[in-house]
Amino acid sequence: MPELSKMKKPDVKVVLLGDMNVGKTSLLHRYTERKFKDTISTVGGAFFLKQWGPYNISIWDTAGREQFHGLGSMYCRGAAAIILTYDVTNWQSLSELEERFLSLTDTANHDCIYALVGNKVDLTDPKAHQSQDSDVASEDRTDSEDMRTEPQLPTPPTSPASLSGVMLQKQVTPEDAAALYGRILRYKGLDETSSQPAEKMCFETSAKTGYNVDSLFEALFDLVLPSILRQRNENQESPTVDLEECRGSSNKRAKSSCC
Amino acid sequence: MSVKAFELVPAVERDLLMGDKARINIECIECCGKHLYLGTNDCFIHHFLLDEVTTSKGKLSYSAQKLLHKYLGLKKPVAELRAASALERLIVLCDAIVFLVDMVTLETVPSAAGGGAKIRGVTAFCINENPVNGDPFCVEMGVLSSKRRTVQIYMVYEDRVQLVKEVNTPEQPCAVSLDGYFLCLALATQYMILNYNTGASQDLFPYSSEERKPIVKRIGREEFLLAAPGGLGMFANAEGVSQRAPVNWSESVISAAVCFPYVVALDESFITIHSMLDQQLKQTLSFRDGHILQDFEGKVILASTKAVYVLVPLPLERQIQDLLASHRVEEALILTEGAQRNIPKDKFQILHKRILQQAGFIQFGQLQFLEAKEHFRKGQLDVRELISLYPLLLPASSSFTRCHPPLHEFADLNHLAQGDQEKVLHCKKFLISYLGEVRSTEVANGCREDVDTALLKLYAEQDHESLLDLLASDNSCVLADSVPWLEKYHKFFALGLLYHYNGQDSAALQMWIRVVDGELQDSTRSDLFEYIVDFLCSSSNLDLIWKYADWALRKDPTKGVHIFTKRPQSKHLSELNPDDVITHLGKHTMALLLYLEHLVLERKSQKEKFHTHLAVLYLERVLSLLSESPRDEEQITRARERLQALLRESNLYSVQVLLGKLENCEQLLLERATLHGKLEEHDKALHILVHKLRDFPSAEAFCIWASCSRDCAYRQRLFHLLLEVYLKGNHTSAGGGVGDPEMAAVDLLNRHGEVFDAVRVLRMLPEGWSLQLLRPFLDRSVRASMHACRTSQIALGLSHSENLQLLHDRLKERKKPIYVSEKKGCHLCHNTFSEPDVVCLPGGVPVHKHCVAQRVRDSPTKSQLTNSSNHT
Ligand SMILES: Nc1nc2c(ncn2[C@@H]2O[C@H](COP(=O)(O)OP(=O)(O)OP(=O)(O)O)[C@@H](O)[C@H]2O)c(=O)[nH]1
Ligand SMILES: [Mg+2]
Repeated sequence: MPELSKMKKPDVKVVLLGDMNVGKTSLLHRYTERKFKDTISTVGGAFFLKQWGPYNISIWDTAGREQFHGLGSMYCRGAAAIILTYDVTNWQSLSELEERFLSLTDTANHDCIYALVGNKVDLTDPKAHQSQDSDVASEDRTDSEDMRTEPQLPTPPTSPASLSGVMLQKQVTPEDAAALYGRILRYKGLDETSSQPAEKMCFETSAKTGYNVDSLFEALFDLVLPSILRQRNENQESPTVDLEECRGSSNKRAKSSCC
Repeated sequence: MSVKAFELVPAVERDLLMGDKARINIECIECCGKHLYLGTNDCFIHHFLLDEVTTSKGKLSYSAQKLLHKYLGLKKPVAELRAASALERLIVLCDAIVFLVDMVTLETVPSAAGGGAKIRGVTAFCINENPVNGDPFCVEMGVLSSKRRTVQIYMVYEDRVQLVKEVNTPEQPCAVSLDGYFLCLALATQYMILNYNTGASQDLFPYSSEERKPIVKRIGREEFLLAAPGGLGMFANAEGVSQRAPVNWSESVISAAVCFPYVVALDESFITIHSMLDQQLKQTLSFRDGHILQDFEGKVILASTKAVYVLVPLPLERQIQDLLASHRVEEALILTEGAQRNIPKDKFQILHKRILQQAGFIQFGQLQFLEAKEHFRKGQLDVRELISLYPLLLPASSSFTRCHPPLHEFADLNHLAQGDQEKVLHCKKFLISYLGEVRSTEVANGCREDVDTALLKLYAEQDHESLLDLLASDNSCVLADSVPWLEKYHKFFALGLLYHYNGQDSAALQMWIRVVDGELQDSTRSDLFEYIVDFLCSSSNLDLIWKYADWALRKDPTKGVHIFTKRPQSKHLSELNPDDVITHLGKHTMALLLYLEHLVLERKSQKEKFHTHLAVLYLERVLSLLSESPRDEEQITRARERLQALLRESNLYSVQVLLGKLENCEQLLLERATLHGKLEEHDKALHILVHKLRDFPSAEAFCIWASCSRDCAYRQRLFHLLLEVYLKGNHTSAGGGVGDPEMAAVDLLNRHGEVFDAVRVLRMLPEGWSLQLLRPFLDRSVRASMHACRTSQIALGLSHSENLQLLHDRLKERKKPIYVSEKKGCHLCHNTFSEPDVVCLPGGVPVHKHCVAQRVRDSPTKSQLTNSSNHT
């Protein structure tokens, strides 16, 4: 599917970050292929190009494994939106975001948008068992081919909980997420009043049922539109990018020369 | 799914290189056109000529011929070799020294007088393949030295090297690649991009170069391929952004190269080939003891320690066909397009078109019509390839044969759909829309007949509304093929249109008539009859009109006659001769009547014939209505009104003829009276009106009508006549009538007193009438005669005074002469005078006689003012 897309130059970049096994790849699959299927732990990274109106948005799926951690800041370079993903049944996955992943986002655009996404709510919330109305509607909206694809595959049991049908203990509440969101803003040195509010930027999703998945991506795409326009304008002004300008704080030479 | 993209072909066998010396290892290679250079661990450079040979089986192989070998004299392995072909130099790294060697003789180049040709303490170097400086006679080189944390930029000339720049790095660099101003470096713990011109740097990602050998490979403009943790091949551009997803190598990868669209990597025992397009592993070749993999101008060369191989890409077409065979359309296309640079332009275009067409058919087979259409369009597909998939659509006369080798695997649509009717329908709908789009574009050039005929067939079969539009506009449908098809689908109306388009109007009409007559079933037009009438109406073929008008008139005379009455007046249409039409309409009385009405009332024909004919027809209609029983009074009234109106208003019909027909008819007295009136036989008319009909208002109206365009005297005469008729006939009529003519006479006088000559009236009136009875009449008469008397007295007086005035003038003028010369102009016409006879206007102004005469004739009022006097 994405072969074709490589030929076009994306206008804007969205990056999925988060610990391994939280469901980043599954979320992207759900959104792009409208299916929940078996995944293998991502190696390196992969991306998908989404046509959003007249724009091409590249969505990067990164690998959560420690081994590939170093690549993260390169993926985030120039990103317009970053989806920080955790697993609602796993407290550790939330704290990893703060400890390990947040610093990777230093290379993102200065006006980058951050979303906090708690995945796998189907394991803890009965309401997440059907995909939302908006989700169904958007399925109708996508090309009719989708309508012809076979009914959703019976998803393979992925955890003991879904086998037994017993709900798991939710380890991360929306309040925890909102609190982290606040800390992210502070880390970024952003003013809470002038940034997107936590209610708007914290999502709970299920890649398995599709719950809230379209809403998440669509909300983000709408929010990055201004960023696309800004970038287009900049490109018109100077077609080449001057490294001097995008030199980040990580530039050691710059640091040493100023003292 | 894997692809066979490459084949490993031996280039330099072990024997050729080292014979039986077992300890010799290949350390580095360089290839420059046909020239292959090998550096060995015993400090030799070997120079081979590498020729491509195609075997009888069509396989590629290489034959290597050893030209020269040379000992460099340093006893150390030759670590790196790079050709600078424009300078005819090899840049050699050996024993941490970079120096230059002649490409042909392999002699070391001595230092020039101006500067050294050696760099010492070098660990690695790279050549800038995309230098900003465009000097073709020097080569830019990035050099890493063992001691300092720097990268040095040198310019290499024929006989010297020159340091042009030195930049510091935060850590010891151990691998380098160069593009433009951008250095891509592997440092001890990370990769980075460094702009040697501005000094700006960009960290890429951490990598422990101590643990694993880093790879820094320039793969294109400002893009590099790097070995990343976990055996990844990461792409990074000069901005430090990854624009392609990484490929997944093994941990032990030694070196890598890009041969678009593939990433080729070498590890201890395998060559792996990933596609850059989808990051998938496409092919794995086992390769033992490999330790060098490099690409030279698109050619990938590998070496084990003892032998050299070329990784030959399989013919692109075969790779593409393999991909298409497994329906990997996008991959096939990207592969094709990626190859554009490597294939001559015209050959590429043919290939590209064909692949696009094949891709289109694959997508067509999967019902992905949008994509298919786009590919057909881009591939400039001969539409007939597509049409020919649909059985029976191409006309029998078409000369088309499918291209060979075939563009797809389908015999026809049924084969493709495997009996799935819905699929068939989808495909047909697609073809309809596709042909509709292309038929007026250059795509249809040279096969318009085939396209239009196919479209017609589809429209007919699918009951598509555009069938009629197609036939009503310019089209190239083949008649012979279309007729049976349209008949089959009962599109008789459409068939008629097709006949018409092909100039066979008669056939068209016959077809339509059969539909209207119910012989054939086609509900396309519920107003087909009107359509036929319209059609005939504007037909330029008179024979056709005469031939089919009869049918139309029989079917519906009122509408049928429109053929003649609604015929547009235009240059392109010949006029119909009304006489012919009338003859033709002969027995269709109704239609004839309508046609005559059209001639007389609408077109205001001035021919007596038509007026008479129409009047006679009106009359006949009235008579026939009158003879019916029971009578339809309302209809009779209407018919008579029409007759009467015509009799009254037309002056052209033959009164005698009509009178002859009315002579014995006592029911149509009013009409007879009108006719008498037309003959100015007013007494007869009034007699009928007054005595037979006793219709006094009509009698009065008659007088007004009959005199309406005449002078007062005429009217007076008529009114007197009426009065006489009233008075004379008094005794003849019975007393019990509706009205008494005598009373009518009184009313007449009192109402129209001004018309009468009162004196004559008084003489005529019976003695016994009371004054009171005639009071209004008499009042008016007396007043009128008084008024006339006084007016004339005034006029008389005025005339007298004018006469006097003129006499006075005349006397005055007589005294002086009036000069008339050829130079003087007449005041009225401004021409000069040519004879002495003139007329003098009051005041002595001379004018021509004829001018005055004219003036007097034209303005009677002025005649009284201009009293002329002859004067000589
Ligand atoms: N119940 C449930 N399971 C999920 C959901 N999303 C993902 N999973 C499961 O979680 C596991 C990991 O999913 P991935 O999408 O591969 O996770 P990832 O974040 O991409 O992991 P890495 O690629 O290693 O970073 C898989 O077994 C999925 O089936 C979800 O919404 N609900
Ligand atoms: Mg993943």
